[in-house]
Amino acid sequence: MANSEVYILGGYQTDFARNWTKESKHFSALMRESVLGALEQCDIAPEEVESAHVGNFAAELYCMQGHLGAFFTEVHPTFSGLPTSRHEAACASGSIALLAASAEIEAGRYGLQAVVGIEQMKTVAADKGGDYLGTAAWYDQEAEGIEFPFPKLFGRLGDEYDERYGLKDEYLAEISRLNYDNAKLNPNAQTRTWYMNKEQALCRTDDNPSIGGRIRIADASQVTDGAVCVFLASREYAERYAKGMGKKLSAIPRLKGWGHNTARLRFDDKVAESRGDTYVLPHVRSTITSAWKRAGIEDANGVDGIETHDCFTTSEYMAIDHFGLTKPGESWKAIEEGWLEIDGRHPINPSGGLIGAGHPVGATGVRQLLDGCLQVTGEAGGYQVEGAKNFQTLNIGGSGTTSVSFIVGVD
Amino acid sequence: MSGKDGTMSGAELRKALGSRSIDHVVVLGANGTMGYGSAALFTQAVPRVTFLARSREKAEAGLQDAIKQVRSPTVASRADVGDYGEDLEKALKTADIVFEALTEDLEIKREIFDKVEKSRREDSIVATVTSGLSINQLCEGRSDSFRKHFMGLHFFNPPNVIVGTELIAGDDTDPELVDFVEAFSRVRLGREIVRTSDSPAFAGNRVGFKVLNEAAQLAEQLGPVLVDRLVGPYTGRALTPLATIDLVGWDIHRAIVDNVHQNAADEAHATLKMPDYMANMMEAGVLGNKTGGGFFKRDGKTRLALDPASGDYAPEADIKLPDLSYIDDVAKMHSVGRYAEGMALFLAAEGDEAAIARKVIAGYISYAFHRAGEVTETITGIDMIMGAGFNWAPPSVLVDTMGAGSAVTMIEQAGLEVPAVLAEAASGGGKQRFFDHPQVNVGKYFVAS
Repeated sequence: MANSEVYILGGYQTDFARNWTKESKHFSALMRESVLGALEQCDIAPEEVESAHVGNFAAELYCMQGHLGAFFTEVHPTFSGLPTSRHEAACASGSIALLAASAEIEAGRYGLQAVVGIEQMKTVAADKGGDYLGTAAWYDQEAEGIEFPFPKLFGRLGDEYDERYGLKDEYLAEISRLNYDNAKLNPNAQTRTWYMNKEQALCRTDDNPSIGGRIRIADASQVTDGAVCVFLASREYAERYAKGMGKKLSAIPRLKGWGHNTARLRFDDKVAESRGDTYVLPHVRSTITSAWKRAGIEDANGVDGIETHDCFTTSEYMAIDHFGLTKPGESWKAIEEGWLEIDGRHPINPSGGLIGAGHPVGATGVRQLLDGCLQVTGEAGGYQVEGAKNFQTLNIGGSGTTSVSFIVGVD
Repeated sequence: MSGKDGTMSGAELRKALGSRSIDHVVVLGANGTMGYGSAALFTQAVPRVTFLARSREKAEAGLQDAIKQVRSPTVASRADVGDYGEDLEKALKTADIVFEALTEDLEIKREIFDKVEKSRREDSIVATVTSGLSINQLCEGRSDSFRKHFMGLHFFNPPNVIVGTELIAGDDTDPELVDFVEAFSRVRLGREIVRTSDSPAFAGNRVGFKVLNEAAQLAEQLGPVLVDRLVGPYTGRALTPLATIDLVGWDIHRAIVDNVHQNAADEAHATLKMPDYMANMMEAGVLGNKTGGGFFKRDGKTRLALDPASGDYAPEADIKLPDLSYIDDVAKMHSVGRYAEGMALFLAAEGDEAAIARKVIAGYISYAFHRAGEVTETITGIDMIMGAGFNWAPPSVLVDTMGAGSAVTMIEQAGLEVPAVLAEAASGGGKQRFFDHPQVNVGKYFVAS
C-alpha cells in the first residue's frame, strides 16, 4: 500500500561524549537540544509537528523524573497540547518509540511525527548505574545484589557460543578495535578520543579488567548521556517536504522494513529454548529476517551496511551470524576476512556502534536509524559507506529479549 | 585537494591515507610533556614508536610517563628508547615520520634538525609540534627534500584528551604530504585538524591567549576570583581563564603572548602585553600549578587566590565579590538548554562588572573575526580550533546564539572595531548563521555555572 509508507526526513544527535551533569544541565536541556537541532537540521517549522513519541529506559531512576512525553511540550511553545507518549523496552526503547510512531503514520493518523530517544546516565556512580541497568533483566532473579549484571549476562552469551561452536577472545578484541577505530571518524562518538587498539583490547591486566567473565572493559559499551530526534512522515507529507527542499521523493529515506520480537526475559530461558537450534538467539534471527521479508529482500546482501547492537563484543559476534553474514557459529570468518570494515563487504557499525559511539540506552535505537539515514543519503562524512542505498539496524533490549530491526533506504 | 579544515570527504581521506604507510615514528624530545603525550598517541596507530631524548634514562622516563598517561601496556610493546647519538642515527634510517617536540627554542630545534637532515630517509616526513615558532624559519636553509617533507603538527596538551590539532604547511611543503598527514591524523589518530597559515602562534593560541592575557591584565585590578567568575563557564567555556593559565604554566603563557606581541602588529596589541606583576612573580619562581600555584593554589581543601598587588594569597571564600546575580540567572537558562535566552540576559545585565565581562567576550569575537583570512582561510578554522582545542564556545557560536545585531552592539559598546562581516550580517537582519559545522553540538559550550 503506497499510502502507508513511512519516510524519515532526518534528525539530530547530541554529542555522546558530553557529560550533562558536568555541564550542570537538566534532563530537559538534553531533550531540547535534540529536538531543536532536528528542526533546524531538517528545516522544519515547529508548527508542523503533529505528535511526538519519546523512547526512554529509566529516567525515573537516573533522573528521578517520569512522564517524559510531557517534556516534549517544554521544548517549544507551539508544542503545548500535542499528543505525546513515552515508550520503554530497556535498551530497545528508542526503536519501540519508532515502531509506535510509524504505526500511527501507517494508520493515517498523523503526517509528521517527532521521535526522541533519550537517556541521561552519568547522574550516578558506575555501580549504581549498573544496578539500574539490571532492571532490564529479571531484576530479583538475575541482577539483584550482583555487581554489573549485564556484562555477566553477555559474558554468558560468549560462553554459550564457545560451548556450541568455539570462540576465541581475539575475535572479540577485533570487534572492539574496529568499533573504536570507526568512532574516530564520527564527530559525535563518545570514545572518539579514547586510547584503544587490538593489543589493548586483548590486554588481560588491570588496564583492562574483567567486569563479567570474558567481558572486559574494552568489550563493553559506554555509560552515555545522549538524545537523538528524528522526524517520521507520511508519503503525502514527505512529497510536500521533498518539493519544498527541492529534492525528489526518492531521495528521502524510507522505512522499507521492520522486525520486532520479544523473547522470554531470563537469559537461561532463552538459551534453553534455543537448544538444538542453529541460532543461539532465534528470536533475534527472526527479527532480522522479518525485516528483510517486509523490505522484499532476501538476505544481508540486500543492504549496504548494518548498525547493530554491540552493547558488548559478544552481542556483535552474535549479530554477525544472525544476519547470515556467515554460517551459524562462524562469525569469526567475517572478522578475519575484514568484511565488517567500512570499505569491507558487509560494513558493521561504521558509526562506532554502542562500544564506540556510545550507548545512551533509550536513544540507541533512534541513533541507529539516524545513522542509517545519514548513510543512505551520503551524509555520514568520515564514516560514510560509499554508495550506500540501504541500511539495516538491530536494537536489542535486555539479554536478547526485545529485538527490533529496521531497514531504511532510498530508491 | 582540500585546503580548509573538515573539507576532505571520507573517500578522500581514505585515498590520501593509502598513499603511504606509517610503520615507524621517531619522537624527538620524548621526555617532555608534549613529547611523551604525542608519542603515546602514535603508539595507538603505529607499530613502532621510538622515544628519543638527551639520554636513554630521560627517554625511558618519557616512556613511563606515556604509559601512565594513556593507561595502556600497548605503549611499551610498541616502543623503544634511545638518545640523540647513535640511536638517533639508527632510528632515522627506518623512520616514516620524525616528530620533533624539543624545547620551544629556534636554535635548539635547528641543532637537532642538523642531525635529522644527515640521517633521515629522503621520503620521511618531518613534523614539529611547535606551538608558534615559524615553520618556514625552522626549515630555512635545509635541503629541498627536507623542506618539502617538513610541516607543523601542533597537538594541544594533553594530546590524548584534546583532539583539536593545527596543521601548518611551510612555503615549500608538498601539498600531497599535507593531505596525507591530515588523513593520517584524522583517521588513525582521531584528530580534529585545522589548517592554519604560518603566522605567530598560529590560530588557536593567537586568539585564545589574547583572551587569557586580557583576563590576567584585568586581574591586576579586579583580582583573579572576580575575573574568573566574570569570564566564567556561562560565557562559553569549561575551564575559567586564569585557572587555564595556571594549568598550562605561566612560562608557556609568556612564550606565546610574547611571541605574538613581538611578531604580530594587530589591533589588540595592548592586550597581548603580559602584565608586569606576572613577570615579577615568575622571577620568584611562580609558574602556575607545576610550581604549586599561580593565580590560585590549594592549602589542603581550601582554595587560595592571589592578590596581584601584594603577591599574597587569601582563601577564596573570604574574598568579597559584588552582586553577580545576573550570572546565576544566565546559568539557570543554560541549565535547561535555553542558551539564547541566557546570552540575552548576559547582554542586558546592568552594572560595571557585566560590562567588563562583555568587553572580554566582545574582544574575543572581534579579534577572532579579524584574524579570519590571516591565520586560517575562513572563520570556520578558528571556530573549530577554539572549540576542539580550547573547549570554548567558538566565536561564530556566540554570534549565532546572541544574534549578529546584538553582537555588533556589544562590540561597539566595548569600543572595539566591528568586523565587516558582522556589520553586514547585522544590517541584513541578523539571520545569517556563521558556525559552519552542523554536526557539532553548540550547546555543549554553554556550561551552566
